[in-house]
Amino acid sequence: MRIDSDKCMGCMECADLCPMECIVERDGVGYIEEDDCVECGVCLRAGLCPNDALYMPEESSRYPRVIRAQFSDPGVSHPAMNQGGRGTEEMKTNDVTGRFRRGEFGMALEFGRPGIGTRFTEIEKVLGVLVTMGVELEENNPVFLLVADPKTGSLKPEVLSEKVLSAILEFKIRQEQLEEVVRKLSPVLAEVDTVVSWGLATRFAEDGTLPVRARLEALGVPARPNGKINMGMGRPIVEP
Amino acid sequence: MSHSLHRYGTVEQLQNDYTFYARTSRYVNREGCGPKLRAILQILLEDKQVNNFGSSHSGKSYVAGLNPEEYALTLDKAYGVAACFSDKEAIRPILKKLKEADTGISIVISGLIDEIVKIAKELDLRPHTAFLSLGIHGKKALLPEGRVLEITTMCGHGQVATRLTRAVAERVKAGKMTPEAGAHLLAQPCPCGIFNTTRCTDILEAWRQQPATAPTAVERPGA
Repeated sequence: MRIDSDKCMGCMECADLCPMECIVERDGVGYIEEDDCVECGVCLRAGLCPNDALYMPEESSRYPRVIRAQFSDPGVSHPAMNQGGRGTEEMKTNDVTGRFRRGEFGMALEFGRPGIGTRFTEIEKVLGVLVTMGVELEENNPVFLLVADPKTGSLKPEVLSEKVLSAILEFKIRQEQLEEVVRKLSPVLAEVDTVVSWGLATRFAEDGTLPVRARLEALGVPARPNGKINMGMGRPIVEP
Repeated sequence: MSHSLHRYGTVEQLQNDYTFYARTSRYVNREGCGPKLRAILQILLEDKQVNNFGSSHSGKSYVAGLNPEEYALTLDKAYGVAACFSDKEAIRPILKKLKEADTGISIVISGLIDEIVKIAKELDLRPHTAFLSLGIHGKKALLPEGRVLEITTMCGHGQVATRLTRAVAERVKAGKMTPEAGAHLLAQPCPCGIFNTTRCTDILEAWRQQPATAPTAVERPGA
């Protein structure tokens, strides 16, 4: 995103809208720090600028910079996913897809959320550890499409310094891997230069309970009281 | 897309915050989903308890001016309809009607897990899968204080800025804006319709009545 300095009158009304706080005043007009801009489009969509000084330059749609908008603007469809957003259907449609079965857990590490943003260097640090643990990476995920070598977890070098509002690593583990994965991941997550919101998808047990909550509590990563529940109303249902 | 997971707040603060998602699968039932999603939207709207609704494909939510009739026309091959409620009791009649309608579209409710499971049992529904939030990890010193996160995390795509939240709260505190108007303004950047303006109004009202303090350990996310 850019501000046309010839049109901007320096009111700075757009600055508060920026989730990355990268709209600053320079020489009496607004200026966008392009390296920190994630191309979320919030400032432009707000339509607040009386002089239409905000605009999306052509460079924003060129690779690799174009991935910023793909991960940061929910209205921009990822070309490989044919939908907006940063992740997949995950557990929302699990009742009809059967992606996560009993005996398995899905995990989602959302880098940069909430509201901090991330560069892909931080994701690569964790991906490099994940690939040593025998987890099943979700291949239909926008981040996976940026992987250069699935064996090492290295990402394509040209995307490493790109910044996005958030990006999700999705993977699946067997239930018996939970303790090992949590113990190995926790110190790695503590070292990244952003925040990571961590989610775990699990089937309800036959008796309608969530036994994993006690295991997570014992591991020092208790589940928060609020979460998402797939109500089992999709049809045809997989593994009722 | 875990946009309704990780909403920040204590059990007490989350009592009035439930989100709804009807989601088609591109692998199973997106083709021909339009009439089913429109039927679901009608059920959502006829109870008149919905706080907000929309989808990322619609570009704006109901509180930002989304027209329900025009929105309904966009639901062919759509991936879903999102909405939020400020009363868990509003969920019950909607789930009951959806069960009777038997559209076959996946339904997801976000909120306090034990409360949702309780309602499901009362309606003889069998919850299938849970997505649990294990909190925020990493460099938590980068985060704003808890009361900002209570508001900004209601947009799971991170479109509501910390600075905008603080600016609105200051205007409310100075008596230049009502909490309701502040919540309406903060909801504008979130296109999916899951920004709960009633909860936001309550947070801004509480903010107005409290002096500004540095975040405490209790307020710190993940603490």
